[in-house]
Amino acid sequence: MLNNVTIGQFFPGDSYLYHLDPRTKLILTIAMIVLVFIAKSFIGFALVFLFVLWCALSTKIGMKYMLKGLKPLLVIIGLTFFLNLFLLRDGEDLLHFGIIRITTGGVRMAVFMAVRLILLVLCSQVLTLTTSPIALTDAMESLMKPLTRFKFPAHEISMMMSIALRFIPTLMEETNKIQRAQMARGADFESGKLIARAKAMIPLLVPLFVSAFRRADELAMAMEARCYRGGEGRTKMKQLHYGWRDGEAFTVVALMFAVMILLNRYAPF
Amino acid sequence: MRDTIIRLKDVVFKYEGSERPAVDGVCLDVQAGEFLAVLGRNGSGKSTLARLLNALLIPTSGTVEVDGLVATEDNPYPVREVCGMVFQNPDNQIVATVVEEDCAFGLENRGVPSDEIRRRVDEALTEVGMRERALSSPSMLSGGQKQRVAIAGVLAMRPKIIVFDESTAMLDPIGRRDVFRLARRINQEEGITVIWITHFMEEAVQADRVVVMEDGKVELIGEPRQVFSNVDQVLMYGLDVPEMMKLAAKLREAGVNVPKDVLTVEEMAVELCRLK
Amino acid sequence: MPGSPFEVKALDDVNLTIKDGEFIGIIGHTGSGKSTLISHFNALEKSEPGHVFVNGMDLGDKDTKLTDVRRAVGLVFQYPEYQLFEETVEKDIAFGPQNLKLDEKEIKHRVTEAMLLVGLDDSLRKASPFNLSGGQKRRVAIAGVLAMNPSILVLDEPAAGLDPAGRRSMLELIRGIHESGVTVVMVSHSMDDVGKYCDRLYVLDHGRIEYQGTPAEVFEHGEELKKIGLDVPECAKLAAVLREKGFDIAPGTFRREDMCREILKNLKK
Repeated sequence: MLNNVTIGQFFPGDSYLYHLDPRTKLILTIAMIVLVFIAKSFIGFALVFLFVLWCALSTKIGMKYMLKGLKPLLVIIGLTFFLNLFLLRDGEDLLHFGIIRITTGGVRMAVFMAVRLILLVLCSQVLTLTTSPIALTDAMESLMKPLTRFKFPAHEISMMMSIALRFIPTLMEETNKIQRAQMARGADFESGKLIARAKAMIPLLVPLFVSAFRRADELAMAMEARCYRGGEGRTKMKQLHYGWRDGEAFTVVALMFAVMILLNRYAPF
Repeated sequence: MRDTIIRLKDVVFKYEGSERPAVDGVCLDVQAGEFLAVLGRNGSGKSTLARLLNALLIPTSGTVEVDGLVATEDNPYPVREVCGMVFQNPDNQIVATVVEEDCAFGLENRGVPSDEIRRRVDEALTEVGMRERALSSPSMLSGGQKQRVAIAGVLAMRPKIIVFDESTAMLDPIGRRDVFRLARRINQEEGITVIWITHFMEEAVQADRVVVMEDGKVELIGEPRQVFSNVDQVLMYGLDVPEMMKLAAKLREAGVNVPKDVLTVEEMAVELCRLK
Repeated sequence: MPGSPFEVKALDDVNLTIKDGEFIGIIGHTGSGKSTLISHFNALEKSEPGHVFVNGMDLGDKDTKLTDVRRAVGLVFQYPEYQLFEETVEKDIAFGPQNLKLDEKEIKHRVTEAMLLVGLDDSLRKASPFNLSGGQKRRVAIAGVLAMNPSILVLDEPAAGLDPAGRRSMLELIRGIHESGVTVVMVSHSMDDVGKYCDRLYVLDHGRIEYQGTPAEVFEHGEELKKIGLDVPECAKLAAVLREKGFDIAPGTFRREDMCREILKNLKK
């Protein structure tokens, strides 16, 4: 069931984006998301769209694989598109037939919102497909480090995330096993009304939780046995280094911002 | 004469809220470089003993001295650095999402410089035969491979002692054999002291010495041949005895004069040929 | 997942027939296809192509009711104690019968019988299954399957992870269940165990049945079994060695008692 989901999966490779520092990628992804939201004109959108597309293509992962991540979101994208199309009334009428009324403003908004969502997904896809989970959590820890001065648990949060990522496949497998065992005892997870179905999940969820707690307990012990004592005094095998590529990337995105601000001011269409 | 590396003196450990101590007055010396097997039924105190050895637990009374160090509640780390531990469940001791990162975990905790970590991790992964899987996700590995990664993580810390707490119990026969052989090799080639806790007597017979625990106490101790030849007693402690020893006991009952401490098929064949 | 890159042929042209009342052993190591095979026995997995018949029901047939199949074949997975979820032992065992929509009285009766069969004391009825020892938990899980009154009981490594004493009593318990009239299929790594308890064995390797027959017949292939990573009982090995040294050991000797007798016969000559 989860085999089709490509969001959050790392795809090993060797193109330009793989050689950027994960912190750069994290910051720039956020920057790109901001850009997607401040774009107001067709030209602005076209600019961001082409840039993201170019980034996505440069990863050499293959658009087909990358677009698979859009699949689970198609419903939401479609819904946003049609809601805007039919409900937003602004500008000239394009079509007026009974209660259905489509306006130029509606079309514009519908297209913008759909493109925004697609771009959001693509940006995060580019990030997670080219950055290993470890690099990502390391980057988060490193970026949040200044906050530790205000007692912000930067190390703990990144440790939690990386452990969660580590145990997702394990718990998935476990869910599958328990499900099969309960099915062999006549449990039915597929039919019945909503409440009956929710109730049918108990024989699955209770053992899953029990086992998750047991695992957590054992893992904590194993970590202690390996001298874990929190983030203080810890080193890393792989240290993060900014390189010339990161400078390039930052410059390019900064330029994009400048262009976008100018576009918003002088060409707001 | 080899040096004593672990010294247990009248060690008692009681879990909070339980009435009976889990480990009850254990005295035990382990020599440096020894391969010591610890046997005993579930609940006999084996795992508690293991945890006392690397300061995951601190004894209620008595002393645990590991390589001249005595751990305290506040500072268990020096002992943990000397004495590594490999647990039973392969899944629940791997922390990272990448094999080599997991292997680096202990060294990172100890604040070892990055390039030194890199070198030691590569070395340790080569040693356990997992170098080519360095960038794999642990979830793609078999149980035996996961245990080898766990061993690499401990080896990278260069401990003097490794405690294996039923590390083969959840593996299939092939994984079990691989992990056991690896532990033996580490013991023989690197001289690392191994404490091997197990239910499998076919592993225990290959140890230098065997300790049998029951109700938190050490009941039998000695060379495997000597310990297992107390067939009835060993069975009484809920353990198993090598098949050839059982056969020997049966043959002796029938009046055949085979020694009672025959361990292997080959030894038994030699004895029987002699009698024919 | 036919057609996907993950497709592996787990089973390959497997033909086997199990008769009513038999005690069958299935041996092979991880990845040999044993788990897939037993999932076919109660339609958790469907074979394609091929047919699985249980008590005359074709499991591939759309008209065969799943509940009938799961009622007939009880499946106990590895480490079945991880499927426990109810507050009391009694309720947990009753889960299967409840799914069969039996009436209260019958369920109660079945729980009592199942507990008796696995040797759980009646005083444990109201105990929480999570407070029991490992061996007891496993008995509760097995009782939960037995309470569905299967005519065939399939167990995947029922003794895994237990200490030698627990192992012995678990196997004795299964022997008792078999003697009560249930057909038993036991998957195991241990040649000693299957040799001691089973009427017939199937040795699986890479999804194929490599050897089959009575334990004595199978153990004659000591050398070949070693090549696929399986071991034969010590006494079977001794028999082979002694034969080389000119002893006259009857074929199919692998039990300690028989070995002892054969040796005495030779020494008296």
